[in-house]
Amino acid sequence: MFPADLYLLMPELALAGMAIIVILADLVLKRRDLLAPLSLIGLAVPVALSIVLWLKLDSIDPHALSGFSGFFVVDYFSLFFKFLILGATALVIMASRESVTRFSRFQGEYYALIMMASGGMMLMAAATELVSIYVALELSALSTVALIALLKNSRSIEASMKFLILSAISSAVMLYGMALVFGLTGSTRLLDIADRLTSVSELIDQPALLLGVIFIITGFGFKISSVPFQMWVPDVYEGAPTPVAAYLSVASKAAGFAVIIRVFFLAFGSLTDEWALLFAVLAAVSMFIGNLVAIAQKNIKRMLGYSTIAHAGFIMVGLAAIGREGELLGPGVESILFYLVAYAATNLGAFIAVIAISSKINSELIDDYAGVARRNPFLAFALAVSLVSLMGLPPTAGFWAKLNVFNAAIETDLVWLALIGMINSVISAYFYLRVIKTMYLSPPASEERITADLPLKAALAIAVIGLLFIGIVPGFVMDVVETAVGTLA
Amino acid sequence: MLADYGYIGIYLLLATLIPVSMLLIPWALSFVGVKPHNPTPVKLETYESGMRTIGGSWIRFNFRYYYFALLFVIFDVEVVFLFPWAVYLDKLKLFGLIEMGIFILILMVGYAYAWRKKALEWS
Amino acid sequence: MTTVLVFFFILGGMALLGSVGTVASRNVVHAALSLVLALLAVAGLFILLLAEFLAIVQVLIYGGAITIILLFALMLTRTREGPVRLDNAQRRFALIGAGAAFAVLTVVIMVSDWPAPIDNPVRPGFSRISEVLFQQWAIPFEAASLVLLVALIGAIVISRPEKGERD
Repeated sequence: MFPADLYLLMPELALAGMAIIVILADLVLKRRDLLAPLSLIGLAVPVALSIVLWLKLDSIDPHALSGFSGFFVVDYFSLFFKFLILGATALVIMASRESVTRFSRFQGEYYALIMMASGGMMLMAAATELVSIYVALELSALSTVALIALLKNSRSIEASMKFLILSAISSAVMLYGMALVFGLTGSTRLLDIADRLTSVSELIDQPALLLGVIFIITGFGFKISSVPFQMWVPDVYEGAPTPVAAYLSVASKAAGFAVIIRVFFLAFGSLTDEWALLFAVLAAVSMFIGNLVAIAQKNIKRMLGYSTIAHAGFIMVGLAAIGREGELLGPGVESILFYLVAYAATNLGAFIAVIAISSKINSELIDDYAGVARRNPFLAFALAVSLVSLMGLPPTAGFWAKLNVFNAAIETDLVWLALIGMINSVISAYFYLRVIKTMYLSPPASEERITADLPLKAALAIAVIGLLFIGIVPGFVMDVVETAVGTLA
Repeated sequence: MLADYGYIGIYLLLATLIPVSMLLIPWALSFVGVKPHNPTPVKLETYESGMRTIGGSWIRFNFRYYYFALLFVIFDVEVVFLFPWAVYLDKLKLFGLIEMGIFILILMVGYAYAWRKKALEWS
Repeated sequence: MTTVLVFFFILGGMALLGSVGTVASRNVVHAALSLVLALLAVAGLFILLLAEFLAIVQVLIYGGAITIILLFALMLTRTREGPVRLDNAQRRFALIGAGAAFAVLTVVIMVSDWPAPIDNPVRPGFSRISEVLFQQWAIPFEAASLVLLVALIGAIVISRPEKGERD
């Protein structure tokens, strides 16, 4: 029974195993430059295993494999997030060759921890039981704490401590919420919780259940950097090594939304009236705070930090846009998954370009990006395209992502939320365009060329081509997303 | 079954009473006049293995103690898991053995890491 | 039942006393020791609920290991002679916040109907805990060892002195 289920978690187990191999290799090997290729090979193993599982799902009906007494599930939805997280991790590792030289003592730790964090996030997306979700979440959170501190300067350590304390508080509140839900329903399994809530009608009206749900939102809201749990974002983005910030903004957010969708749509599907409105309000506030504060930022990493808060808001519009009774998993959830793919390509593109430029000009101030277009046209173009996609203009991925989300909102009678989203897209154009303007129109401080190493350029090219591909042919990703959401129920 | 904890309760009570009474009895006797009271500066000094005390007690300790505390926490958690595991091992059979083996092996990686990174050295 | 209630109030009072001491104490070492009292009292409460394994965990991990690391951290980071004031002008807001949280939680928990039997807790027993922990929860259990590994690596990374910095 039990060991036979192990193949379901092969990707996660392989990734954790590879992370341990990287730690041991770092202890034994003298040559640190082998660690990055080793990690990339290590990422290829879980990718291959996930493909194997995907093919296996194709051949069975229904397209889902549940195991470990219903604690973990392999369906298109969890595999979708495995690919997304692994892809983001691979791009970040490719782009970190230059950055790791700033903490060369900790290269082994860097690669191992980033893989551990990814393993935790993949588990989060596959878990269908509250305690498993919590342990997986902690695995990714603690790895992240160490990753943020790697630079070992006072900003980096401070950011790490802020993240640690806030993450511990939000975890504690979330656990309290889980305990309340467990006390009322008698189970931590999401499907059992859903069963109890539908079969025992008086449970729905318990104030403790509502409080439990709100507390659980606290824990997940921290992960996706939604207001009011966003305080850590700007400090962490500024203090952490830039690849770590890039990784956090994409992978952590994806895993957070994966868990939210599973928990709220599966377990609390009968409580939609309560939480949908809550997510709608959080979405609106996140968009406004993120975009308005981003305008005032002079540091590009801080600006991207506030931008990520705003994008958490845009994605949460999809959470609020739930369908009618009986068809919860409508366009809202699909728009979230689509947005996450588009945002991964877009934000990784922006961050990788920032890694390349900032490490060469030794500054993260937007003003110092003056004339970058003349010093390296490719980097400037890549950053510009990514920023255009963050704004949500065609022909980029961001355009379709926002269109889908707003469309879902309008279809479910949330016109006001869609309007707020559009207003915010306009606000955001201001600070994104300012960076592009500085790069192309301001005179450069020096004519010296900005160079970047080959893996970074390759990662950047993949991200930019990805976001343009999604922008021009959105149907491909849309099909995958529909498949992923289709197996969720 | 909860009454079984009464023994532990009695034990705790005794464990508290003895030191408290050791403080209270001399204090009570001082009212009767049995206890002599003759403080001198030497008597009031802090006792430190018969040596003269040097410096204050509020000093900063070597941070390497931290690593030992850390390893202690981690292996303490491991031991806590060993309790129920040992009780139930005859039912878990080989599966349980492998399961705990992996658990300990992963922690051993951490130990090897701390060792190789010289966190355990007192240089 | 009444003896249990008496012990509940004794232990609950100890936990409360310890918690208040932790936040209100001016001396950081006293605060840490008050925390020990609170943690051990909670272990006693677990025993009243017949959750013996949790009580052992509470004593070993929290009463033992966590307290030690806490006290070590105090010893290692001390920079000034003597006790240092721990609180600041925000304590009033902290009090209001904590009071509000307490009020909300109390009201919500009292108002709700709990399906689980509160008067007669069931005693799970060690073997039942082992059964579910090592079979149903096997994967979270192994993941917990990864969490510990990551915590160890992270703590060493954060606390290792820079080259040239004095130990």
